[in-house]
Amino acid sequence: MNVLRVSKWTIAAFVLPCLLLYVGLVFVPILVSLYSGLLDWNGIGESKFIGLQNFKTLLFDDPVFWPSVKRTLMFAVFSMAEIPIALFVAILLNRFIKRPNFLVSTYFLPVILSVVIVGQLWKTIYNPAAMGGMLNQVLDMLNLHSWTKSWLTDPKIAMYALYFVALWQYLGYHTLIQFTGIQNIPSDIYEAARIDGAEGLKADWHITFPMNIPIFKISIVLAFIGSLQAFDMIMVMTAGGPAHATDVISTHMYNMSFLSMKYGYGSAIAAFLVVLCLIATVIINLVFNRLEKKFT
Amino acid sequence: MNSTLGVASVKPAAVTRDRKRFSVVKTLVLILLSVLAVTQVYPLLWLLIYSLKNNEEILSGKFFALPASPQWKNFTDAIQAGHYFQYLKNSLFVTTVTMLGVLLLSSLAAFAISRFRWKYGQAVMVIFLIGMMIPMQATLLPLMIIFKNLSILNTHLSIILPYIAFQTPIAVFILSGFMRSIPNEIEESAVMDGASIMRIFRSIILPISIPPMMTVCILTFINIWNEYIMAATFISSERLKTLPFGVNSFVSQYSVNYGAIGAFLVLGALPVILIYFLLADKITKGMVAGAVKG
Repeated sequence: MNVLRVSKWTIAAFVLPCLLLYVGLVFVPILVSLYSGLLDWNGIGESKFIGLQNFKTLLFDDPVFWPSVKRTLMFAVFSMAEIPIALFVAILLNRFIKRPNFLVSTYFLPVILSVVIVGQLWKTIYNPAAMGGMLNQVLDMLNLHSWTKSWLTDPKIAMYALYFVALWQYLGYHTLIQFTGIQNIPSDIYEAARIDGAEGLKADWHITFPMNIPIFKISIVLAFIGSLQAFDMIMVMTAGGPAHATDVISTHMYNMSFLSMKYGYGSAIAAFLVVLCLIATVIINLVFNRLEKKFT
Repeated sequence: MNSTLGVASVKPAAVTRDRKRFSVVKTLVLILLSVLAVTQVYPLLWLLIYSLKNNEEILSGKFFALPASPQWKNFTDAIQAGHYFQYLKNSLFVTTVTMLGVLLLSSLAAFAISRFRWKYGQAVMVIFLIGMMIPMQATLLPLMIIFKNLSILNTHLSIILPYIAFQTPIAVFILSGFMRSIPNEIEESAVMDGASIMRIFRSIILPISIPPMMTVCILTFINIWNEYIMAATFISSERLKTLPFGVNSFVSQYSVNYGAIGAFLVLGALPVILIYFLLADKITKGMVAGAVKG
């Protein structure tokens, strides 16, 4: 029980500076954004209230919108598919390596780099061979000339090239999270299981998986919400091009608001994104509450 | 490796076979994990080598070869043409102020939420928690309009304020979680001795809370040091740009001098990598703590 009885003024002095700044710069903008979604406005001149017109256009008449939603969701699927791989790596590290910290920190290195560094680095790697791009030079060296591509300017491939960079950057993060989770499982459980004849993969199936469910949740939320918000990396590498082939929800929003100057319309997309994030969080929490009840 | 224990005392032959199988598996695992380490690190190493080559060497296709003579000129070019130290200074300033702001505001709020007896503590916590789900990009446009009206657009204040705001939820979450675990007796005796609230906060709670505050510092540092899009949206003057923004505009402008681009990317990555070498354990722990925000 909290012990300190203090006056209202004291409470206000402690909480309000933080709360006001936070509400003013996070919540108020979101509410402004929700409202601006109902306007026809270019950000400078007169705004006109047009009700749900922006949302109607967005959902039914925008050729870029649904494909960008699809790419956002694909992004989430790929990111989540990475988690089992990370878990596998974490199990291997935990079982076979005596001093795993060095390897774990090595895997983690890309995570701490700015998206600008990662994005520009991979842009350089994806460059045509004649511009010094490593990937195409490797393919040339292996005599796979027909495989060489302009990875970021071919609309069919560009998006996959981006997914890959995100997977590359965050593999270490998920591995570290899963690894920490595994290390927190008390080792006497495994010993008890060994006496009962369960070792190796069998023990993983019966112990590591169920005990790690809360950790999965952390990874899944991180991957899912992170993908819905995937933004900076795409802005750095392709800015949604070529011809909208790599647009996701947030880049579409940015391009609409800041390049096409459709502030109202951009806000409508922002509102959609916020709602999607909140819904996704609620669903993930519900699913995992069920799972945790079932397995623990 | 399934049955080592069960048969150990009876069949030595089976044990050696098992051991052999184990060492084969172990070798395979080692190879796999090393390959993975190489894929995670090689691109960075490649970049370093790339940054020391001249254009001819880069375009020649021998991506693996070391440069004939290291082109340090790429680095001096990058530093001179790219305002590297200006960007570095700006990033240092913005990140430091943000860190101090986050620590101050969130420790005060976390103290009130976790230690005061009042009705709305939980409600305030929930407000902070909801904020963690809000995508930062959705606030770019309204914030830009707000800042334009306050005429602080294109100042460091226009990025520091939202940086602090977006870092507070996780900071309050981490700090209040820790402060809740401090035993009540400590404060009770302090209150009996007549210590004021501010005194309790400064002399008792803050010193105990240094470990979680380190975590908050690390998270804030990594997030803010690397932040790009807000800086690129709210800042336009060359002399105010932070490092990621500066790196990005340099690289986009300087598209023919490949070596210099590589050098600037290396320089851009250098500070954070150096700090990572010094504090790897603390950073990985802090980032895991930060991931728990779901």
